[in-house]
Amino acid sequence: MLLYNLRLAWKSVRRHPVLSTLIVLGIALGVGVSTTFITAYHVLASDPVPGKSGVLHYVRMNSWGLPDSPFRDGPPPQLAYRDVREILKSGVPARSTASFPSRMTVFPPNAKEQPFRESVRLITSDFFPMFNVPFRYGGPWDRSADAKPEAVAVISSALNDRLFGGRNGVGRTFRLDDRDFRVVGVLDRWRPRVRAYDMVVDPLGEPEAVFVPLEWAGPMEVSPTGSQSTWRSPEPGEEDLPFIDRLVLGEVLFIQLWVELPDQARVAAFESYLDSYVAEQKKLGRFPNKPDNRVTPVLDLMTELRVVPPQTKALAAISLLFLVVAALNLIGLFLGKFLARASIVGVRRALGASRWTIFVQHLVECELMGLVGGSLGVLLSLGGLAILNRVYGDGPDGVAFFQLDVPMVFAAIALSLAAGAIAGIYPAWRICAIPPARHLKNQ
Amino acid sequence: MLKMDNVTKIYRMGMVETRALRDFSLEVEEGEFVTITGPSGSGKTTFLNVSGLLDAFEQGHYWLDGMDVSRLSDREMSRVRNEKIGFIFQSFNLIPDLDVFDNVDVPLRYRRLGARERKERIERAVAQVGLSSRLRHLPSQLSGGQQQRVAIARVLAGDPKLILADEPTGNLDSGMAREIMDILEQVNESGTTIIMVTHNPEHAARAHRQLHIADGRMVDLERIAPFPLNRPESRQAAS
Amino acid sequence: MEFGPIFRSLLRNRARVVVIVAEVALTLAIVANCMSLILDTRAQLARESGFDDDHMVLVRSNPFAESLNEEEVLNQLVDSDLRTLRALPGVRAVSNTSLEPWGQGGSITSVRLPGTRGEPLRAQFYSADPSIFDTLGIRVVQGRGFTREELEHGADAGPTETLPVVISKTLADVAFPDGKAVGRELAFADESQRLLVVGLIDRFYKPLGAAADRVMLTPGRTVGFDYGSSYLVRTEGDPGAMIPRMEKALLGAEKGRFLRLRTVPEMREEFHGRDRLLVASLNGVMALLVLVTSLGIVGLTSFSVAERRRQIGTRRALGADKGDIVRHFLLENWMVTSLGVVLGAALAYALNFGMVTWVSGARLSVPVVAVGALGLWLIGIASALGPALRGAQVPPAIATRNV
Repeated sequence: MLLYNLRLAWKSVRRHPVLSTLIVLGIALGVGVSTTFITAYHVLASDPVPGKSGVLHYVRMNSWGLPDSPFRDGPPPQLAYRDVREILKSGVPARSTASFPSRMTVFPPNAKEQPFRESVRLITSDFFPMFNVPFRYGGPWDRSADAKPEAVAVISSALNDRLFGGRNGVGRTFRLDDRDFRVVGVLDRWRPRVRAYDMVVDPLGEPEAVFVPLEWAGPMEVSPTGSQSTWRSPEPGEEDLPFIDRLVLGEVLFIQLWVELPDQARVAAFESYLDSYVAEQKKLGRFPNKPDNRVTPVLDLMTELRVVPPQTKALAAISLLFLVVAALNLIGLFLGKFLARASIVGVRRALGASRWTIFVQHLVECELMGLVGGSLGVLLSLGGLAILNRVYGDGPDGVAFFQLDVPMVFAAIALSLAAGAIAGIYPAWRICAIPPARHLKNQ
Repeated sequence: MLKMDNVTKIYRMGMVETRALRDFSLEVEEGEFVTITGPSGSGKTTFLNVSGLLDAFEQGHYWLDGMDVSRLSDREMSRVRNEKIGFIFQSFNLIPDLDVFDNVDVPLRYRRLGARERKERIERAVAQVGLSSRLRHLPSQLSGGQQQRVAIARVLAGDPKLILADEPTGNLDSGMAREIMDILEQVNESGTTIIMVTHNPEHAARAHRQLHIADGRMVDLERIAPFPLNRPESRQAAS
Repeated sequence: MEFGPIFRSLLRNRARVVVIVAEVALTLAIVANCMSLILDTRAQLARESGFDDDHMVLVRSNPFAESLNEEEVLNQLVDSDLRTLRALPGVRAVSNTSLEPWGQGGSITSVRLPGTRGEPLRAQFYSADPSIFDTLGIRVVQGRGFTREELEHGADAGPTETLPVVISKTLADVAFPDGKAVGRELAFADESQRLLVVGLIDRFYKPLGAAADRVMLTPGRTVGFDYGSSYLVRTEGDPGAMIPRMEKALLGAEKGRFLRLRTVPEMREEFHGRDRLLVASLNGVMALLVLVTSLGIVGLTSFSVAERRRQIGTRRALGADKGDIVRHFLLENWMVTSLGVVLGAALAYALNFGMVTWVSGARLSVPVVAVGALGLWLIGIASALGPALRGAQVPPAIATRNV
């Protein structure tokens, strides 16, 4: 029956080419626009670390030393070096990682080549398993390398191509600022849309090119390039201290700390650990304000920090409404198409077709046009996404920022069917509700 | 009342010319009841269209109620139709979305009459056809005979000089048909000229004069009843 | 005019009326909200920095050669760079400063009146040299700018010394409501250091948090081995054209560093990139929406006119002329469109509430809804004109054709 209805639908399309084309174009437009913006929203709003978003938690505490902090809605978004060090050392969470970004000069092994600047992230080794970072060659350094720190680095696929011609760079060395680092791992092409590990500074930015252990911050006197906040000006004499001591004393908040807590019990345990840590610090004269410890899972943090630009959500909502309006506007066209052949329907009814049969036959035709229009709409949305990509930028390996994935294609199909239904239900009902006799006498 | 003189109506379809009315001449006195019979394709419908100013014609002359209506503009024809002519159609042609009141109201609106006058006319005309209790019913809620009566009321409300009826009983059973004919006779007795196209010989016989059209020409069959020329006392009081 | 009969007949054609009313109402609701968002965003996009943006280049210099890893050497490099740039023809003014107009980054600090408690004021805080005002193209409207001595001393200033600052008038008005800011003192929020107001500027806008139009400029060199140094260059003509020459001159003076030169207009483009995309997208959706709806009204009205051919013929037979027929359909359409517009206005506010609460948006203003309503109303009626005119062409003779 379905095949029969499809054949009838196809014949109907051929008989009214202009009307059918207009209908298909109308649906294509509606589906194209809505798929574009819904995909944009979906890309930005979907889980940035599938499989781990439930167990990864972001840590914040209110170490601000003055009564009025610039942070209206809660504790400062980042932590100070000394607090991060303590928490990492405590071993309370199963896994934990702290990081901040910087920029350093990379000196290629071939001395004749010009040095260049690259984005660098200082991390601890748990970073890689926690955020599902994919490796092509080698792997992360182990925890002992974090402590010393060892001069080891993990580099991006693009940097590996640039330094070592695309061959396996593991084991080779290159100079970063003032010392040599040995490559222990090369990443696969990796361009998450939302960098879960840095939602405070630049969530939609590109991953760094070089990853080195956090403890290099002191010896290399690394200056963070992300955001920094501080409430404390340096005291007299502090300027002459070694960098690492200044870092510790300085109460500058520039580090993001993530912990992995596999179940609710461990979350509770960690929270009470934080409570006692803050209580201790208070005794030392720090943390003068009311405690405000937050242990926030990935998805909640995304919402809280508004990682998905609100405009993206707005456009997605508006584009869905656009689809509804576009479909409504096609009702007239479907009516024209169906009622032009009312006499044929009259004959079918006289020959025994029930109202339901006629209704289904026409609905099939509507959905067929919906699907055809929808396919065209998907093509249109590829164009729309390409335009969006020009502003959001492509990845280093040319992978577009916004891409249609399987769930979105299904969404487009669902939207096409919905559009076909919205546009077609009323006309289909009209045509099947006509008494057969009326149109049999048509001259 | 009505005089057609050698009227010719030509339909052109591409290279083919059809003369639907050929040198058609007819005179109808005021207050006459004339029926017209003829086979299919004889030009009955064309005659109705021409005499009702629904369509223009190529050759000849047409006087209606003392006015030469041969070469009028569309707007002028509309006005004459509205003020002097009333139509009754075989398929009633009531507007399905409007109730009885609004249907009868339609031609009065085009005459730009005031609301009170329209209301009076409508209620009077509907009473005349005996449907006062159905003033707010829709055509779909009325029988065929009732619908045709509404159509007659629509004509009567405008108080025309000439009524053109196109097979008014064609879609009705014999009982209802007789009712309609009774009403038409009554209307004619009050002084309105009626020209009726019909297939039904029984109805045709109720006229003063029977005419026959064949091949676009008129054939006068016979005068059935004597017809006095002036009957002013039976004219309806009209504006 | 036949309002009554038309209204009653519309009641019996509910489905068609509902569709057109829904189309018009939804379209108005969406268009009004889009317009609102667009106006709001464009207002932000339109804000001027107050500087001579079109003639400025931002130069970032990051040293990598070890020979440069020394404070004195870097200071001398800054002075030499300034001389090199000033010597180029077409360069009007150069300044060494940490201020990057339209840059993504910046710095904010909290200040208060010395000795007071309560909420501190937040303001942007940058170091600059005396030529900053000429470079930005702004004037010091009260007091003075910086002196060379203050600049030289800046590097050696102790952590508790009073720093001279030039502040923006907006900050002065809040901190010193009596209008006398020059000569008065502010302090950092932790009271660790005092700031002496030596001058006021009246134009400054750099979007950064809540302190977009408040700034304090203090004399000092922007230099460091890690952060590098940056210079703002004001040119006579097209800034982009000057870039190759500037780069060459600077590299010629010192090769052991990276240079990044961008025109300020370019930086502004990038800064506004996402907002511009939003406005463009909204404009696109709005235009398509209006087009689709007017085509839809044309389609539905054409269909409903065609469906009523017989009725049109009958009306003509009863005495309607072509004008009457056109007026009838226009009046019918007018009633439906008007209902749609009224509902649409209400829907617009409802949608706006939803958007502002759960998604994002700008509050609707009455003029936007009014303009949108008027526009859609006109479009609705214009869309019906074609089908109405076509309807008027139906010949009266249709009435006598037999079904």
